[in-house]
Amino acid sequence: MLTLTKDRALALALLLIVAVMWRESGSIAPPTSWQPYGSALFPRILLVVIGVFSLLILVRSLLVKVPERAGAKQLIHEWFQSRRTILALFLLFGLYAALLPVVGYIAATIGFLVASLALLMGINTRRKWMINLTLSCTLAIVIFVVFRYGLNVWLP
Amino acid sequence: MTNFFLQALAEVGTPSVLGLITIGVLFGIIGGSIPGFTVTMAILVVFPFTFAMDPVSGVSLMVGVFVGGYSGGIVSGVMLGIPGTPSSITTVYDGYPMAQKGEPGRALGIGVASSFLGTLISVAVLVFFGPLIANFSMNFRPWEITALIVFALTLVAGLSSGALLKGLMAAALGLLITTVGYDRNSNLRFDFDLPAMGSGFEILPVMIGIFAFSQLLGNIEKLKDEKSEAKKIDTNVTIPYGQILKDMAGQKLNTLRSSLIGSLVGALPGTGGTVANFLSYDQAKKFSRRPEEFGTGIPSGIVASEASNSAVAGGAFVPTLALGIPGDLPMAIMMGVLILHGITPGPMMFEQNPVLVGAIYASLLIGAVVMVLCNLLLVRWFAKISLIPQQILVPVVLMLCAIGAYALNNNLFDIWVLFIFGIIGYLLWKAEVPLTPLILGVVLGDNLERQLFRALELNESWMTFLTRPLSALFLALAVASILFSLYQDRKIQRLKNAASRENI
Repeated sequence: MLTLTKDRALALALLLIVAVMWRESGSIAPPTSWQPYGSALFPRILLVVIGVFSLLILVRSLLVKVPERAGAKQLIHEWFQSRRTILALFLLFGLYAALLPVVGYIAATIGFLVASLALLMGINTRRKWMINLTLSCTLAIVIFVVFRYGLNVWLP
Repeated sequence: MTNFFLQALAEVGTPSVLGLITIGVLFGIIGGSIPGFTVTMAILVVFPFTFAMDPVSGVSLMVGVFVGGYSGGIVSGVMLGIPGTPSSITTVYDGYPMAQKGEPGRALGIGVASSFLGTLISVAVLVFFGPLIANFSMNFRPWEITALIVFALTLVAGLSSGALLKGLMAAALGLLITTVGYDRNSNLRFDFDLPAMGSGFEILPVMIGIFAFSQLLGNIEKLKDEKSEAKKIDTNVTIPYGQILKDMAGQKLNTLRSSLIGSLVGALPGTGGTVANFLSYDQAKKFSRRPEEFGTGIPSGIVASEASNSAVAGGAFVPTLALGIPGDLPMAIMMGVLILHGITPGPMMFEQNPVLVGAIYASLLIGAVVMVLCNLLLVRWFAKISLIPQQILVPVVLMLCAIGAYALNNNLFDIWVLFIFGIIGYLLWKAEVPLTPLILGVVLGDNLERQLFRALELNESWMTFLTRPLSALFLALAVASILFSLYQDRKIQRLKNAASRENI
């Protein structure tokens, strides 16, 4: 069985994206009588270019001998395992984006900063807790004041 | 010329703008001092603060960050032996040994003085060549501009460290991102039935997402691998002014050569501070009577490194202002700032917005002076700031990125755009796809499509691109840059194979 490498995963993902977008480009309005070329031409040229390059990356990756490793499922599992902190940070950012309109800038920002600083710095000592809370609250409020009163930009 | 420059100087010379330049320089130095933060990240973080400003104030602030950022790498390079930005790698070669010999103040002083002179020389290059190139490119029609953009993209993709295929693919992907939403004919493309996508993606959340997430999360990953020990450094630095004047007096040719290399490299698309840094260090070594002393802590090494990377700032403005083609990532963001303030960089900018062009020149000059003062007066503090851990920096910068994306249009959709492109950027970075061509594709996509179809509306034949001399020249250069990269890739591969055979 073929081993899933970075290049193979990249090429396959891009080919899938190209296929989906090519299909989607079919619903773009056709050119009118005064347009020599329609709105779909430019993206289709790019899709062909990306498709060709992805195929070349795939072919090249198949020509390189890779030592047999665990199956794709195992590799994906390992990938996720070794990047737990990064994934948790992404998750926290997603939550932050979702909570901003619900709880407002100050609460959401303090929540995001406290949680992500705790994730990265740890919270095993009283000092770390103090740094975390002081930094999160001060920064969130300072940024709010600068944007709201200094730059006249309303935050949610 | 003198008239608009004086007018610009009057606008930049107001206390509020001078204050903004100083804040920009300070933030740039701090950004450059913190290892892993980079000039680009400093520019991205400050960028949202320009939204509510008038163009001159916004651009002056950003120029300040630029000037400060390129010089900021000196502090961590000299004090910690870690380059604050990739463009100050060679500063470490001589700066750190000199500091270890007990002369950190001398190393910092030489670095700051060289940065200052490098910036001044690059401003002279910008003032002289910017209008010349802009004047010449006034004759460019849609065919030439299309071909020039294609050339710039292939050049940047080709320079993507042995990953030509991925670089070209990334550039095309960047261009594809700009096709989402309504096009020039008011036809909807790729909205995937999501009404928010109808207006397309704002360039900035896309750029910030792609670059910032990959960079910041990459730094976190590196932390896990390196587990660096807390460094104790002596921040009690004093600058020996007399010694530095003496050192610099013996480095006139080196300063001039390195600054010109920096300006030239900055003006080439796809290069930037890192390339300038290595190139001028190498040249300084070759021209030296005692090349064996390089790397042991000599002034020549620091001068070559710092004069060149600071000169990149002025040089990089040449293609951005004159042609509307940013040479590197910081310039792509700078172009975003100008576009946001309703100014389209390109040949017409010199005619339509001469005061703003003059304001950029003036801000660079003032920024250079402020940079010297800040560095000399506050160097102890910068040394302390350079120790801020990534664990604190990353969440704070991510939060600032989110607020910056939101503040652009007071639109929460832009934060989601930032998030999605953050994931995409991180995954592409993990797959070793170069991100600079991708970001340049995003910046240049709209213009490329507009110019391509304007050309085709004027003349339906695609052959016109090859029959017009300048357009054909740019396309030939694009092909040549790809072929050269292929040749280089093969050469690297052959060397690798030979090395592995020797190991066997």
